[in-house]
Amino acid sequence: MAAANQDTTRPQNTRAIMSFLREHAPFSSMDDTHLAHFAEHATLSFYADGDVVLSPEDGLAKRFYVVKQGRIRGERQHKTEERTETTFEISQGECFPLAALVGERPTRTLHRAAGDTFCLSIEKKDFVTLISESEPFRDFCLRGVSSLLEQVNQRLQSKAMASIGSSNSLDTPLERYALRNPIVCSPDLPVRKAVARMHENNVGSIIITDDGRHPTGIFTLRDLRTMVAEEKGPLDTPIGQVMTSNPCCLPSTADAFEAAMLMAEHHFAHLCVVDEEQRLIGVVSERDLFSLQRVDLVNLARTIGTATHLRTLVALRTDVSRLVDAMLAHGADSGQVVKIITTLNDVTVRRVLELNLKKNDPGIPFTWLTFGSEGRQEQTLLTDQDNGILFETPEGMTPEQVREKLLPFARKVNDELAECGFTLCKGNIMASNPKLCLSIGEWDDWFIRFIDASTPQNLVYSSIFLDMRAVFGPSEPLHRLLENVLARIRKNALFQKMLAGNALQRKPPLTMFRNFRYLNDEKKHSLDLKRQGLAPFVESVRVFALAHGVETANTLERIDALARKDVFDAKDANAWKEAYSLIQAIRMRAHQEMLDKGEELTNYIDPDDLNPLDRRILREITYQL
Amino acid sequence: MLEQIKQWLAQRRGGVTGDHDTDSLPAPKTASDQLLTRSRLVVLDLETTGLNFSKDEVIAIGAVAIESGVIHLNDQFDLILRRPELDISETVLIHGIGPEALTQGHETEDALLHLLEWMNGDPILAYHSAFDQKFLEKTLKAQLGYTSQHLWMDVAELLPAFFPHAETKGRGLDNWADYFNLQISERHHAAADAMVTAELTLAALNMAQKKDVKTLKELVDKLHYQRRLQQMHRL
Repeated sequence: MAAANQDTTRPQNTRAIMSFLREHAPFSSMDDTHLAHFAEHATLSFYADGDVVLSPEDGLAKRFYVVKQGRIRGERQHKTEERTETTFEISQGECFPLAALVGERPTRTLHRAAGDTFCLSIEKKDFVTLISESEPFRDFCLRGVSSLLEQVNQRLQSKAMASIGSSNSLDTPLERYALRNPIVCSPDLPVRKAVARMHENNVGSIIITDDGRHPTGIFTLRDLRTMVAEEKGPLDTPIGQVMTSNPCCLPSTADAFEAAMLMAEHHFAHLCVVDEEQRLIGVVSERDLFSLQRVDLVNLARTIGTATHLRTLVALRTDVSRLVDAMLAHGADSGQVVKIITTLNDVTVRRVLELNLKKNDPGIPFTWLTFGSEGRQEQTLLTDQDNGILFETPEGMTPEQVREKLLPFARKVNDELAECGFTLCKGNIMASNPKLCLSIGEWDDWFIRFIDASTPQNLVYSSIFLDMRAVFGPSEPLHRLLENVLARIRKNALFQKMLAGNALQRKPPLTMFRNFRYLNDEKKHSLDLKRQGLAPFVESVRVFALAHGVETANTLERIDALARKDVFDAKDANAWKEAYSLIQAIRMRAHQEMLDKGEELTNYIDPDDLNPLDRRILREITYQL
Repeated sequence: MLEQIKQWLAQRRGGVTGDHDTDSLPAPKTASDQLLTRSRLVVLDLETTGLNFSKDEVIAIGAVAIESGVIHLNDQFDLILRRPELDISETVLIHGIGPEALTQGHETEDALLHLLEWMNGDPILAYHSAFDQKFLEKTLKAQLGYTSQHLWMDVAELLPAFFPHAETKGRGLDNWADYFNLQISERHHAAADAMVTAELTLAALNMAQKKDVKTLKELVDKLHYQRRLQQMHRL
């Protein structure tokens, strides 16, 4: 009732624009107030056939456009020849230039009116208002961004592919991907027969060509669906009447990444590959580009878990590194990869412990703990040893006596782990340190002091110790310990506050002007991805996790758990997870490259070394922090 | 008699009547050398109780503004006048304004003053503008005693002037709307008609730029010339 009243108080033309918008995505799922905001702030402009609507020379994209009537054609200069090619068409109800607006850059494509065209548009500030206020609109626009994220992932994969020498890199020319002898027909073939031909050949598209084998149109299963659903005509209609004209074409010399970009940008699933004379030589589909292969993780884990000698374990670390390469190459997301690295690291740690127990059992049951990033299961190839021991003091012994037996054992394990590539912890946060080889009672006391007397040093420790996990030995004692600790933290608001303060002290590495803030003057052009990129996430999420009694130690899992408890908005949670994963991915790729070059692994990267896409994404992400 | 008193009372309660200072209103602009790309143009459409100039009345005013060559949707005028005493049974079917909507409309004088202020003396365009001009001038004079002359231009002349070869199926607003594939959201709704008229004006202004018609004066001259040309054809 209220809505109806409100509607009649809006001017007719505002209502008319709202109902026009309502017929198109994403506006169809937006609230009336947001549609009204659009309609009231819009301007309507006219472009005659051939007029330039938007050009790369116009500078940063300033307005968000919706085609009200007519069509817009995207043109790019041909790479080698003196001619332009149409890269896309935007028709009624569609929006542009989304990527340029979100990316705060000029458009890369000349937008030209194809036929007399009317466009509605709003200023960037109104676009921003809508993004921040309307969920469906935000989703729609961020889908654009996440397709950018996908592109970065593709780039990561292609780099990794190159390093394992696979031929399936996205840098390879399209001709290697393209399906030869694509299914073609002439425009007069009835739809029924064309579909039969597609069915016989088990393909999702058919290309309509003229006598000179130039593609003039494409017809896909999706078009068939639309045709049937919208009753566009009988199945005897000549296919030329229902095909999508002027299909997107790329020369066979273009690379797969270019094709992927084009597909991602315009949501095509198929592209024609043509020769110099624009004659069809093949078709490439989205699926051809991204077919994933399985990587044998289980086998590697088993080999590590049954190794009989330290030197086998050391040798197997190279395989772990190769596996990471392969996983990245095959499109696993960084969250998965990180967990797999952690799993393999755990297997290695366990095997080192087992081998040592065989040789020299100290005779006292213990739980091997890991802290910090290892505790959070967020290791990459560069991993410090952050470990400790939790034991239950046997009858008739003092904790001191137990330590006398356990410490030499721990020392040996620490050294062997170092040989396997887990660098010795510079802060001596290792099981061989008497202060970290404690009985359950001692750990508990330790945490009491730690929580109740919150000093700055304790806060630094907090980032290490609050993320502990049992890798070897019974986990039940640790569980008991953590329950006590969590209960205590939940009661101690001051401690929570200090933890939060600590998290907030880490500024994301962006200056006011949204450029990267570098580490310091000596390392002028390096960013510490771990401290400046990941730590703010990890610490903020930890505060929430501890305050809400979330026991898991993995940052992504903590975000999930907090979203389930309605502490975080599900949308935000996803955005954070994506951002976090991406920084991890960039960090891992940097590690891979350092390994390849035989350099020491660090977490520093020079943003200038990143390709422009990565750099932009990294900038956008760190802005979220 | 009782009904009349009731109406009079309702009008008194409804707000201010009379005593308007029409002198402080913006002065009408003339056809100057101002660039079209910098001008504000008002595109207007009226709904009336009928076509008889001597007895019919304005019941709704819709207008949109074109500024710097684009239509700004935050700059529009959409009002139904409060004219309960009028008999509108004849035209109610065309424009869909029933007696109820009319009584809920705005005080005529307020609405007209508001309109004059909003128009800001800028040139007024309308489709078959002679009709709208006559009715609006009559109403302004009767209600406010306002007699200033505004600059009017006829979009029905503007379009053939710039698209002489357009194959429209007739000379009406609907024919031109069809020609440009435009939808009229609600035909015979003053604001919707004004909107489509403004959309057509955008197309004409776009062509004007290409034909080197750059200023208001050049545009007015072009229309004069066009009119004379047509008169010669008729002779």
